[in-house]
Amino acid sequence: MNQNQRFQASEDVVAREVAGEMVLLDLSSGLYFGLDPVGSRIWERLSAGACSLAEVCDAIEAEFDAPRNQIDQDVRALFADLANRKLINQLAV
Amino acid sequence: MIALRTSPARAQPPLASAPYDRWVTPDGEVKAEFHRVPEGILLRFPDEADFLIDLARGIAIGWPAPGTAPDHYDSLFQHGVVPMAGNHHGGLFLHGSAVAINGCAVAFIAPSRSGKTTLAGAFAKAGYPILTEDVIELVPDGANYWLQPKQSNLRLFVDSAAHLFGRTFPVDEEDNKHSFAGGEDLPFSAVACPLVQIYLLGSDHNAALAIAALDGQAALVQTLPHAFVLDVADKPRLREHFCRIAQLSERIACRRLDYPRRYDELLRVVDAILTDIEVNRNTK
Repeated sequence: MNQNQRFQASEDVVAREVAGEMVLLDLSSGLYFGLDPVGSRIWERLSAGACSLAEVCDAIEAEFDAPRNQIDQDVRALFADLANRKLINQLAV
Repeated sequence: MIALRTSPARAQPPLASAPYDRWVTPDGEVKAEFHRVPEGILLRFPDEADFLIDLARGIAIGWPAPGTAPDHYDSLFQHGVVPMAGNHHGGLFLHGSAVAINGCAVAFIAPSRSGKTTLAGAFAKAGYPILTEDVIELVPDGANYWLQPKQSNLRLFVDSAAHLFGRTFPVDEEDNKHSFAGGEDLPFSAVACPLVQIYLLGSDHNAALAIAALDGQAALVQTLPHAFVLDVADKPRLREHFCRIAQLSERIACRRLDYPRRYDELLRVVDAILTDIEVNRNTK
């Protein structure tokens, strides 16, 4: 996954924050998913508009106290998971 | 609301379309199939009844299958069609039972055959009237959700009924249950009550008694499967419905309830829930 590749939240996903954590419902499949607080912040970024892996990592680094390489690894894993489940879409370059 | 017009019983005709959705029990039994037809949505309960739902006109035309008892046909409409049409039109209906405890409603949410009616019956036997035995209708009003009373026939497995009433009963139909007229032997509440607590019943029928608080995220995820959805392809309505349940999960305390499905344990379960409600009330 390229650091500068841009993604955005799928229009078929409805999200709701409940007690600080996000729940996503995929309207196409009826499946739902829970995100932890960091994942919830990442989702907020993705649903606010298209953004890249690098931009999200920068935002998380500014907000959470964690090593950059750990943030890169975790955000990359979450993007891959969300993309595999078709909850986010990769934008054409 | 949706009105029912009943046609004479008929054998269920074959349908040209494949169902776009199904209700399937945990045992794999298909309880209902949803078909799109030119006149609307046809909801088929195999070998029991068909309902043609015309949402625009607020009408359901029903055809009981030959041999379907009238009260069972009515139950399919009241506990299937009505809550789905209600949610479709912006209501909040969930699958569960509820009892009134000191003027407040407590709900037990679970799929069929999970013991929710027996648990409500145990509360009724202890003096806490039943609000509803299968379908929970919630009407929001400010910060409250008013749980609507639905006095209906109470359908209990005959062994549950024997435990609750201390005598034996004949089986009404092939499903090993006996129907009691609403209010017969067990008290029903006739007034709406504000919902104060939701218990989601665990699926392990041999689990030890345990009550655990659920955070909002877990409450929402575990409540969603118990909502009635008529049209899974209607995304705007699904979106609104999801938001309504999310709001409920934020506002109402939710617990996971595990307990052994044994009649000799029911009193202990009732006591544990009453204690839990009292503790929750005092910590607010």
